[in-house]
Amino acid sequence: MALLETRGLTKHFGGLAAVQGVDLAVGDGEIVGLIGPNGAGKTTCFNLLSGFLPPTSGTIHFAGEDITGLRSHAIVRRGLVRTFQHTTLFQDMTALENVLLGLHLHSATGLRHALFSRESFPREEIEQCRTVLDFTGLGAHADQLARNLPHGHQRILGIAMALAARPRLLLLDEPVTGMNLDESGRVMALVKTIRDRGTTILLVEHNMKAVMGTCGRIVVLNFGQKLAEGTPAEVSTNPAVIEAYLGAGLEHARS
Amino acid sequence: MIRRVVLAVALLGALLVPQVGNDYYVHLFALVFINVILAASLRPSLTCGQLNIGHSGFMCIGAYTSALLAKHYALPFELTLVIGALLAALVGTAIGYPSLRLRGVYFAMVTVAFVEVIRLIAAIWVPLTRGNSGLSSIPKPNLLGTTLTTRAGQYYLIVALTVVTLLILWKLEQSRLGLIWKGIGMADHLAQSLGVNIAAYKLLAFMIGCFFAGVAGALYAHFIRFLFPPEFGFLVATNILVYNFVGGRGHFIGPIVGAIFLSLLSEPFRGSAYETIFFSIAMLLTILFLPGGIITLPGKLAGFRWGRAASAPTPSPAG
Repeated sequence: MALLETRGLTKHFGGLAAVQGVDLAVGDGEIVGLIGPNGAGKTTCFNLLSGFLPPTSGTIHFAGEDITGLRSHAIVRRGLVRTFQHTTLFQDMTALENVLLGLHLHSATGLRHALFSRESFPREEIEQCRTVLDFTGLGAHADQLARNLPHGHQRILGIAMALAARPRLLLLDEPVTGMNLDESGRVMALVKTIRDRGTTILLVEHNMKAVMGTCGRIVVLNFGQKLAEGTPAEVSTNPAVIEAYLGAGLEHARS
Repeated sequence: MIRRVVLAVALLGALLVPQVGNDYYVHLFALVFINVILAASLRPSLTCGQLNIGHSGFMCIGAYTSALLAKHYALPFELTLVIGALLAALVGTAIGYPSLRLRGVYFAMVTVAFVEVIRLIAAIWVPLTRGNSGLSSIPKPNLLGTTLTTRAGQYYLIVALTVVTLLILWKLEQSRLGLIWKGIGMADHLAQSLGVNIAAYKLLAFMIGCFFAGVAGALYAHFIRFLFPPEFGFLVATNILVYNFVGGRGHFIGPIVGAIFLSLLSEPFRGSAYETIFFSIAMLLTILFLPGGIITLPGKLAGFRWGRAASAPTPSPAG
């Protein structure tokens, strides 16, 4: 039984089929890449999986449970956490506060703590957040405002916040966008470490070097439909995939 | 440290008003503190990014509820206060639950409509509220079996409840709850992606605000002892909003500073047409010159001075 399984996942925006009948399975402990040309429906897929959009039809099963149509906060509670394509952070909070919000679901503090404790946050929660920051290499920046961090660090902070929510499956939407070779290499190494610690990963990425080097399996979308699926080697030599990315070539041009 | 001194001085000043000033000043500062409660209690909703322009409607509910219960059933103030505030929170929940999914200006429109509806109910339901003739001879606050007959006693009651309200709101803002509100205001979809039920937290912020607006209303009712529907209209609600913006939205102290500053400065115009003009000008000046509100003024002044000193080359650490 796969950790995540969709059947006939479909999303229509008016007359446009952004995602059309996609069957997707992600097994426990995998790193799966979701690729495809711009507009192929990758981010829509993420929005459907994470409950930000309701699917038009089809089902989503996570850890054996039907989560189709659940609201996003309920899906996060079950261990399916996403990050965003564009750098999305609480810009005017410190890195530590950002991660504290990621810890939201696992905090036991209620109204009584809020009103009667001298400390705003329990010491162990702060410690947990610092551990997450250290793990992602942001430990030294805990007290900096998110907006003052360099772009690469901001992207990693986004991942750190998602990690604080303790996902079983982490959806990463273009984690290395806008990074140089060195930075993207470090992030992809981090992604592997996260997987090794027991979190399954599904990622969307345009950086083919990063995808090919990290993912065990790749799913290719084109015009909202699944075009191909397989190991990086299989996918990168698949004629249909090459055509989708590069066009049909001379044959097509002549006709 | 400086903060504590300022707070202590402010509190001492507040306590000394009845000793050094006459009834006029007691009256003035009592209204100032009621405005402080109103302004501070609007803050949680504003922090979530919800523009509530109907806060005086909830104050109205608290005021009439408390006044009528005390007048007709001779209930003690501690009871009428709580019932009034709870009713305000309850109505807030009923209004907030369906409308908090609306954003920005649409939510604001709902609250504008609400405050006018409440004002009209108070004006039209004559058998209960005496309508636009006003509800008069509201009993003095009867607290724990003793009636506060003196102006000073009633004033201290308001000061005490203002302090309690501010303490509670401050603690909430410092807690995880406050961080979540802030997060929703900055990037609600991100908060959602971390498992925050944003609708629930927005509703909670709104309810808490309505509760304390109800508290302010009850205090007002038993201090002024006369209720008149137009005093709870749309313009009053916008004033509460202006306190927040002029004071500054970046810190808890902002709405408090704004309420004190504007209530005192607008005192000469109270009740006249110039009051609206005054608040409009205050708002415009803030937007133009102090977008962060009065609380950013000290920092700006300090920065201005450093800016001049820095015209000579100064070594800056870590570039």
